[in-house]
Formats: sequence, C-alpha cells, structure tokens
Amino acid sequence: MQIELRVYTGLEKYTGSRHGELIPVDICGTMTIADIMSLYNIPPAEVTSALVNGRHKELNYCLHDGDRVSLFPPVGGG
Amino acid sequence: MISAKGAGVSSMLSTSQEKRYHRNIHLPGVGAEGQLKLLRASALIVGMGGLGSPAAYYLAAAGIGRLGIADGDQVDLSNLQRQILHFTQDIGRSKVESAREKLTALNPDCSVEMHQCAVTQDNADAIVSQYDLVIDATDNFDSRFVLNKACLAAGKLFVHAAVLSMAGRVMTVLPHKGPCLRCVFREPPAPTAKSTSELGVLGSVPGLVACVQASEAVKYLLGQGELLVGRILVVDCLAMSFETVAVLRDPECPDCGSRFN
Repeated sequence: MQIELRVYTGLEKYTGSRHGELIPVDICGTMTIADIMSLYNIPPAEVTSALVNGRHKELNYCLHDGDRVSLFPPVGGG
Repeated sequence: MISAKGAGVSSMLSTSQEKRYHRNIHLPGVGAEGQLKLLRASALIVGMGGLGSPAAYYLAAAGIGRLGIADGDQVDLSNLQRQILHFTQDIGRSKVESAREKLTALNPDCSVEMHQCAVTQDNADAIVSQYDLVIDATDNFDSRFVLNKACLAAGKLFVHAAVLSMAGRVMTVLPHKGPCLRCVFREPPAPTAKSTSELGVLGSVPGLVACVQASEAVKYLLGQGELLVGRILVVDCLAMSFETVAVLRDPECPDCGSRFN
C-alpha cells in the first residue's frame, strides 16, 4: 500500500522534500499518521494539523491505500 | 459624473471619486456600480499589526466605506519593522488611533470605527454583527477561534491568515458553505510552539498575505471570482512557493459540524 505525504512551512527539513512536494510513502500493515511522522522524525509538537484527503484527522488515525496526508506546523503570528 | 443603478449612501460617484477609483472602475465587471457597492460596504479588521496594517490600508484605498479596526495594544518600537500603519512618532499611542489617523488621511471616503479592545467571546458577537465581513489579523488562536465562531453564528465571511518567519497561509470561511477554521485547526498550537518574536518574521511576508486577504474581501463584496473557500493557500517565501491545499468540512467539527444539513 502507498500513501501520498505532503508537508508545509518548515516541516520539509525532516522529509528533505520541497514545500508541498508529493512524497510517496509505502506502508505495510496498519500505520497511523503518527507512525508516518516517526518515519521522518517529525516531533508531534511540530504538527498542529493533519489532513487526510482534505479532512482533519487525529494523529492516531489509521491510514488506507491512496490516502493523501498533509501536515501543517504551528503558524500563528499576525 | 458616472451614474449607477441602485440607491444607498450615494447613487453616483463624484468627479473626485471617479478619479480616485478610476483603476477600480475599469476592472472587468466592476464599473461605477461595483465601486458604489464597495463604498456602501463594511469590513472589520481584528488586529492592527503585521497583517492588519496592510489589509486595512488596501481596503481603505479600495474605497470600502466603513472599516472597523480592533486592537487593544499600543505601538511599540519592535512593531515598526512590519506594522506599516504605525510610524516612529506613534510609539506609545493606541494602535487603533494611530491606524485611524493614517487610514482617514489616505481616504476620507472611508469611515474608520475604532474598537480599542481585544475581541473576546464576551464582545465578539456584538462587534462582528456590525460588519459585512471579518479579516483575521490577530496573533493568537484563542482570538481566531472566537472570531470563527462569531462569524459562523452571524453568517459573516471570515478571512483567516497567519504568518511566521518566511511563511504564511490564508483560508476564507464562508459560513456553512465550506470548512471553517476549526474544521482544519482543532486546537491552538502547544504552548511550546515558537512565535514571531522567537523565530522572526520578514515584514513583507504578512504584507503579502494581507494583500491576499484584502483581495478576498473585495472579491466577496463585489461577488466576483473564486474565494479561498475549501482551500488553504500556503505561502513559503524562502522557496517562493504558493500551494493550495483542498480542505473539506468536518462533520465532527465542534464549531460547524452540527450545522450540516
């Protein structure tokens, strides 16, 4: 199974990808969003929102084949 | 004089207004009628800082007839690197007073109403209900969540933005027609999350992002174009990358989920 991961706004330093670049990630068995973050050593405190197929999900959400995962860090300034 | 259909505060643009708004009027689909719509419209900008300064400036320049500006803070020397409505001689003054002075000098057509306070759950509904739309130029999620909820309740357009370092994002909430802020951002960032005072922010970054907010507001008031509803615009000025990410309404959203039909 494979999912599509995209990260934004500084999380690229963990994945080595470009801003919003599609990262195909092979998954085996049951994997959560937190498991995917662990693969890239992304600290949970650095993700303030995770979307799966455009909808908010908790980090313990179990992923399915073809899911599109987007991770956003805290950005709160004005 | 350019005439336009419809009555209101004014049914015709003055010669001076024709000249001032010439480049608005000549935009496709705007004309004198569109400009008169803007002159009859109102917007609330919450926060007179890095986002609020340029957003208010462009909305006043565009001829939005009534602007509400809300902020309880005073101008500090450290603000001047990005909060472009405030000048060195304004240090120590109320931000709303400083901003109002510049905005009314820029465009006397624009009536600027000051709300010299933080917008909280105690006053949000009363303030938000006075305007056609709300610009989120705050610097914290507690205020954003209060505004999101008040805009949902009042059916007002809410244009969210946030910045940090060299990055920013914009998302427009059209109540009950698309996802709201809490469909995407459920909780405030952890207290350990870095702020602009720690990671910095280049002044032009909130400037760029606020220009997107002002554009969304004007489009909405004119009924033109496609809003950032159901999309987050994510900007990275280091990579100079602009990405839009599709977002859906969440039936479990604590603010708008129960309103699904």
